[in-house]
Amino acid sequence: MHRCLLFCVALLFAGNVAMSKSIFPYTSWKEVLPNGLTVYLIPMESPGLVAYYSIVRTGSRDEYEPGRSGFAHFFEHMMFRGTKRHPGPVYDSLITGIGASANAYTTDDYTAYHLNFATEDLETVMDLESDRFQNLFYEEREFQTEAGAVYGEYRKSITSPFALLNEKLQDLAYDVHTYKHTTIGFEADIKAMPEAYAYSKSFYQRYYRPENVVILIAGDFHMQGTLTLVRKYYSGWTKGYVTPQIPREPSQKSERKATVTYSGKTLPILDIAYKGEMFDPANRTYVAAILLGDLAFGETSDLYKKLYIQEQKVEFIQASVPMNRDMPLFEIVAMVKHEADLPGIQEEVYKTIAKFQAHPVNAQKLGDMKRRRKYEFLMHLDTPDKVAGGLARFVALTGGIEVVNRFYTTLDRITPDEIQKAAQRYFTPDRRTVVVLKGDRQ
Amino acid sequence: MKLTAGIAALLVFFAVGEVGGQPVNTNTFVLLPVKNDPTISFRIWFKVGSQNDPVGKEGLAYVTGQMLSDASTQTLPYAQIIDKLYPLAAGYSASVSVEMTILSGRVHKDNLEAFYPLFRDAILLPAFTQEDLDRIKSQTINYLENTLRYSSDEELGKAVLYNDVCAGSRYGHTVSGTAAAVKSIALDDVRAFYVTHFTRDNVVPGLGGGYGDALVTRLAADLGSLPSGAPVQVPLSAPVPLNGFCVTIVDKDAPATAISMGFPIRALRGEREWYALAIANSWLGEHRNSSSHLYQVIREARGLNYGDYSYIENYPQGGMRHVPPQNVSRRVQLFEIWIRPVPLENGFFALRAALRELKSLVDNGLSEEQFQQTRAFLKKYVMHYAASTMERLGYALDDRFYGIEGSHLERFRTMMDEISRDEVNAAIRTHLQFGRMQIAIVSKIGAAFRDALLAGTPSPISYKTPKPEDVLTADKEIAVFPVRVKEENVRVVPVTEVLAR
Repeated sequence: MHRCLLFCVALLFAGNVAMSKSIFPYTSWKEVLPNGLTVYLIPMESPGLVAYYSIVRTGSRDEYEPGRSGFAHFFEHMMFRGTKRHPGPVYDSLITGIGASANAYTTDDYTAYHLNFATEDLETVMDLESDRFQNLFYEEREFQTEAGAVYGEYRKSITSPFALLNEKLQDLAYDVHTYKHTTIGFEADIKAMPEAYAYSKSFYQRYYRPENVVILIAGDFHMQGTLTLVRKYYSGWTKGYVTPQIPREPSQKSERKATVTYSGKTLPILDIAYKGEMFDPANRTYVAAILLGDLAFGETSDLYKKLYIQEQKVEFIQASVPMNRDMPLFEIVAMVKHEADLPGIQEEVYKTIAKFQAHPVNAQKLGDMKRRRKYEFLMHLDTPDKVAGGLARFVALTGGIEVVNRFYTTLDRITPDEIQKAAQRYFTPDRRTVVVLKGDRQ
Repeated sequence: MKLTAGIAALLVFFAVGEVGGQPVNTNTFVLLPVKNDPTISFRIWFKVGSQNDPVGKEGLAYVTGQMLSDASTQTLPYAQIIDKLYPLAAGYSASVSVEMTILSGRVHKDNLEAFYPLFRDAILLPAFTQEDLDRIKSQTINYLENTLRYSSDEELGKAVLYNDVCAGSRYGHTVSGTAAAVKSIALDDVRAFYVTHFTRDNVVPGLGGGYGDALVTRLAADLGSLPSGAPVQVPLSAPVPLNGFCVTIVDKDAPATAISMGFPIRALRGEREWYALAIANSWLGEHRNSSSHLYQVIREARGLNYGDYSYIENYPQGGMRHVPPQNVSRRVQLFEIWIRPVPLENGFFALRAALRELKSLVDNGLSEEQFQQTRAFLKKYVMHYAASTMERLGYALDDRFYGIEGSHLERFRTMMDEISRDEVNAAIRTHLQFGRMQIAIVSKIGAAFRDALLAGTPSPISYKTPKPEDVLTADKEIAVFPVRVKEENVRVVPVTEVLAR
């Protein structure tokens, strides 16, 4: 068991952010239990309120077995079905009794269980949370009923054209890696979930282990008292994480293309995606790509102004360069007003990329972008829930929150030449998958 | 672009006829200073909303709001405004609801001097250019004709419900308007709407966070240059009483059936009775919470869908949020039940299950145990409603709207200690009822659903997996639970006609 002071200087937003050496404005404490569970305590001014995040570093990325797409998300639902000591209705009743706001979500790389509650209820929450992470218990009947709720979640979402688009894009872009499926999963796999009771036990045994979980507690609480509670409630949790066998995606050799038909009416959507790289704050080209996405296609870009404001050919255009444990897709997405404009807009996107590949970006624009990124991060940290929630993905990617400062330090040092290099490295035809979605109604 | 903006400026000033008036009285401000907050939050409330849309111009309030927040000013074209806001990580937006329009923005204190002139000019000096109007109209029409009709059946159902319940009143259309009306909006409509409603006599400025006194004085002086003009009063038109169950079925190729239903209620936030009703509602259907009884019955025990909730205040975009929104206040509220999409074959069963629970609540009220647990829950749960300065400022403006002395959220907590079970059950009897309700259903089996409703056809349910005996017993009652609907009260509407005009 060891403790260390992580961030010794709390800037508390004072002064010019661009000059700061440490972007994260709160002091935090880290505790690693002998069983490998990592806990971060982040005290902040939030009278009487605490946010409690349990982050399991397992998401749809870990669904490598055939027919199991969507299972991490399904399992998130099962975590609310209780234990022998606190069966589902008792868990619900206790959470309700303390007026906690409790929920969970699943992403490609992690699953987060989060609660907001009053400081005086911290021990009750820790008792409940530590219990269900160690002693989850449910009958097959409950398991099968919950599968219906998950299918309901799929049904409510699939009417969006973007849900269909993402499903098709990921399926086409990846050959073997688990990013081939979305987090909600393929419909056929969701339909088959009621049959997977035994598998669900194995899923819990392999992934819901202390070495694979990080707890973030932010807000108004007593530091020493909380550390004592952490040791009391989580020390008995046994190790046993089994690393999933996620297939390595082979290099893409050539461009892929598809057209998808949406059952309904929508403006056409153009999605141009490139295989990127995993999150690594030391990889300056990767960090440069994050800035490049906004510089080339964000709202201050020349192309955005041309297509959205001046010519008004698109309802929107945007880029996303995500942070993932493995190789994500760097995407440029546009909703186009007239189908006839699709080829021209596609060409405009390629010309923009070519321009960034040929010339370094304007230094002033790059400086503005860095400044925005930092202020955006800081301004988001105004409640315990947002602090813990804002750190969740960094935790999922690296197992800790230390990376935040490393990431923003790298970001601050990116040069125009590195933006150019990122454009050259990632945004090439052989890495590209293009999907066009069109509605079947006029 | 500059020439166009210049012409627009002349037109606005000509129409206003008077600028540079007296500062807005700072006593009218809603102020929420938070000394250690490194950011400043603005919420500038104009007492105007979709209820003020002229007939045939439904959507004008919404479009005008966007023409302030997402468009050029007389000082700068839109593209340059974006450029200037970008490095500040600050922005402003317009939120338009039935009775309120809020121009809100948030900025770090470091960046206030760069941000403030942009925000101020958006409110005081809009350019109202044709190209901005074209862009904003195009987005609004795309939302109405494509997004709302096809991409989320539950949002569509809620829109249809509100329009039906309030039909014939100025509440009776979606805030975004109708496709035909939005297409007809011209620059002159926007200018006239702005001059009439965005006046210094019709504004309540809200400021929160780490601002200083100087900003209050400055904002008061600047807003003083808005045109004068008394607020336009829209008479409160009570919705027409419902004659039994009235059903609109939107016929569309949907993979599941979405249901929303409700009726108008007279209880408003601030009144003691409202807090009593809030306890009953929370027990029946607390939003996105497993404590919701409807959720327990339909989702948890039977696995029919993702969730089932009830409301006594308008709750737009419920799928996107966990706690109530601010600044959607209105003088007429609905009691509403939201059943998230269920399998096609279980639509009638789910409708019956929800109505059966409502009837049971109306007939029996809350038990002592249900009452005690729910009030204890709410007393703490409301602290999550406004965690940030911006949210608290929003609540403070809503307090002004409803004429609440002090704070609604503080009163909420106090009331949870004061209100008795008798008061809760009295509020249920006064405000809730079973039998007169508007129902909106989105389904691809519209005609069959209508026929089943009219005939009262039993809707038995079967499961692929075992269920407890108590669930199966209740299912038999639910399958034949009477929901009597008269033929003249059911209509089936093709999705292409919804929100059209």
